[in-house]
Amino acid sequence: MPSPEGAPLPFTLQPLAQFSPASNSRTWLTAPHPRLPIVATASSDKTVRIYSLTSFKLLNTVSGGHKRSIRTCAWKPGLKGESVLATGSFDASAGIWRRWDDNAGINDDNGEPLDFTSSGKRNDDSEDDDEDDEWRFAVILDGHESEVKSVAWSAGGQYLATCSRDKSVWIWEEMEDDNFETIAVLQEHEGDVKSVAWHPQEDLLASSSYDDTIRLYKEDMDDWTCIAILNGHDATVWTVDFEPADVSSLTAEDGDPTKSAWLVEKVKAGPRLISCSDDLTVRVWRRRPKEKTDPNPGQSRMPSIIKTGSIEEDWYEEARLPQHHERAVYSVSWSKATGRVVTTGSDGKIVVYAEQWRKPSAEKPQDVNMDSDNPHIADTEWAVIAEIEGGHDEYEINHATWCRRRDKGKRSEDEEVVITTGDQGDVKAWTLEN
Amino acid sequence: MDPDIQNANPTILNASDLPSRRSDFLVKKRADSGTGLFDGLVPSYSYWNDPFEPAVSSDSEDDDTAEVIDEQEVFDLISTISDPEHPLSLGSLAVVNLPDIHIKHPTSPRSPISTVLVEITPTITHCSLATVIGLGVRVRLEQSLPPRFRVDVRIKEGTHSSAESVNKQLGDKERVAAALENGTLMGVLRKMLSTCE
Repeated sequence: MPSPEGAPLPFTLQPLAQFSPASNSRTWLTAPHPRLPIVATASSDKTVRIYSLTSFKLLNTVSGGHKRSIRTCAWKPGLKGESVLATGSFDASAGIWRRWDDNAGINDDNGEPLDFTSSGKRNDDSEDDDEDDEWRFAVILDGHESEVKSVAWSAGGQYLATCSRDKSVWIWEEMEDDNFETIAVLQEHEGDVKSVAWHPQEDLLASSSYDDTIRLYKEDMDDWTCIAILNGHDATVWTVDFEPADVSSLTAEDGDPTKSAWLVEKVKAGPRLISCSDDLTVRVWRRRPKEKTDPNPGQSRMPSIIKTGSIEEDWYEEARLPQHHERAVYSVSWSKATGRVVTTGSDGKIVVYAEQWRKPSAEKPQDVNMDSDNPHIADTEWAVIAEIEGGHDEYEINHATWCRRRDKGKRSEDEEVVITTGDQGDVKAWTLEN
Repeated sequence: MDPDIQNANPTILNASDLPSRRSDFLVKKRADSGTGLFDGLVPSYSYWNDPFEPAVSSDSEDDDTAEVIDEQEVFDLISTISDPEHPLSLGSLAVVNLPDIHIKHPTSPRSPISTVLVEITPTITHCSLATVIGLGVRVRLEQSLPPRFRVDVRIKEGTHSSAESVNKQLGDKERVAAALENGTLMGVLRKMLSTCE
C-alpha cells in the first residue's frame, strides 16, 4: 500500500478476523489476557465481552456489575489458575471480577478450541453452572466522583491504579482477598485524567490528562508523590503506554560503536513512555538518568541538574512519530515482541511504526528535542511501516493493541496481531504482511 | 419574567428570513459571504434547478453513497433545535447560521471520512448554556447524518468569553458519551430536539 507520499510501505495490515457476535453498541477497549488465549472488550452496553483468540467467537458476556458504560478493563498479571479482571465505568466505580481458569484454558498452546461453557475445576463448590455466573463480581471500588476512564495493574499485580474525570488518580492495594485499600489519591491534574499506565519494572505510574500534560508518580517515604510533569502536547493526551522491558528491535550487530553507545544509554534510561493526543501527535519520552557517583566524570554527557537524593525525575521528549493521523489519536500501544508501535483514532486509520537507525546522511528534524547531538552516539528515527484507512469502515476506532497470535494460522510462537475496537461495536484482528 | 433566564430579550429572526433551499435569501447570502470550501466551484445561477442535483427527499436517507449532503441540509437539521431557555429555534435566534457551517469532504480517495464543522453564536457572550446548545447540535447531527461524518461543533470566534473551554468539552468524545448517559442532561437535550422533525 502506498504511503501518502507515494513511497510503498514495507508491510500491509490484513484483516484476519472479526470477533463475533459483535456488540450492538460502542466498544471502547480490548485487553488481551496475559496468559490465556482470550481478550476482554469493554462495551457501552454495560458488559465486558470475553472473546476467544483461537476461534474469534464470544465466550462469555460479563454483566451485572456496572450501571453505566464500561469504559475500560485490565487483566491482573502474574496469576495462575485464576483470572482477575478490573473494570472502570462511567458509573464512577471500578470493579474486580474473578473466575477460576478451566484446565482447557491453561492448556491453550496446543491450539485446541477452548470450551468455556464447561464448568471446569473450582476450588469452591457453591457456584452454579450458568456460564455467565462463572465470572464473579467480587469487589466494587467506590471513591471516584465521576466517570472512571482507565484502570491499570502494576507489573507485579500489587497495585491497581484508576483515574477519572474528577481529575484524580487513585492507587489501590489488595491487602487480602477482595479487600482493597486506597493507598494514594493523587490530585495533581487540572482536568479529566484520561489514562494510567505502570512502568514495566518499577513502581512508577504515569497518567495523561485533559489538561494536556502527563504526570509521573512514585512512592517516597510511604507517600505517593508526583515526580515529573511532561509538558508538550497542545491538547488532551488520550493514552500513555510504557515501552516494554527487554525489547529492542535495534541491535549493534554490525559492530558500529555509536550504535552500541546508543543501546547502553537506552538501558541507563530504562523503558521509555509514548503518548498520543488530540493534537494529532504521538510522542516518545525518555528519562534522563540521574548522575551517579561517576569514577569517570569526563565520559558522562548527562548534566547534573537533579539534586542528589531527590525523587524527582527528568523526562524529555525524545522523538515524535511521523504524523499520519488527521483527527484525534485515541490509542497507542507498544509491542512487547517487536518494539513496534500501533496507533488509531477518530480518523479510522490504523498506523504501525518501527524505530530504526537514522542514516548518517539524513537531516535531523529541528522541532524535536534530541538529546543526542553527540557524534559518538547513534540516532534513531521512527518510520511508518504499515497503514490502513477506514479500518472499521467509516466508524471511529477507539483502541488498538498488540496481542500474541493464538489461532491455528499463526506462523511462529511470537507472532503478533493488532486488535482494534470500534464505535460500532466491532472488534477486529489484523496481521502484518510484507 | 423568569429571573434565571440569562438573555431575556434575544433578537429573533422571522422564519421567512431564514435560509432555505427555496428562497432567494440563500442565493444572496452565498454569493457575498462564502459558505463553504466549494463556493468558488458553484456557478452563481440557480443551482437547485440543476438536473444533476439529487432530489432531497426522505427516501434518499437510505442511500448514503448517492446522497450529497450540503451545508443547507445541515442547517435544516439543526436550525429547528429549540433554545434551552426560550421557546424559539436556534435558527431564529441566529445561534446557528448557514455561513458558519462548513463541510469537508474526504482528503484522499481511500478515506471514507467527511467532516462537518458548525460554529455556533451564543446569544450573549457569557451564556452558560453554550455547552448544552453545542451538545444539542452535536447530538442532533450525529444521530441524523450518515456515520461517515465527523461532527465538530465550536463557538464562533469572539462570541463567547470562555469559548476555548466550551470547545474543548464539545470536542471530547468521552465527555460527550458520558453526558448522554446523564439522565438530567438527556432530559434537557430531548426537549431541545423535540422540535426537530
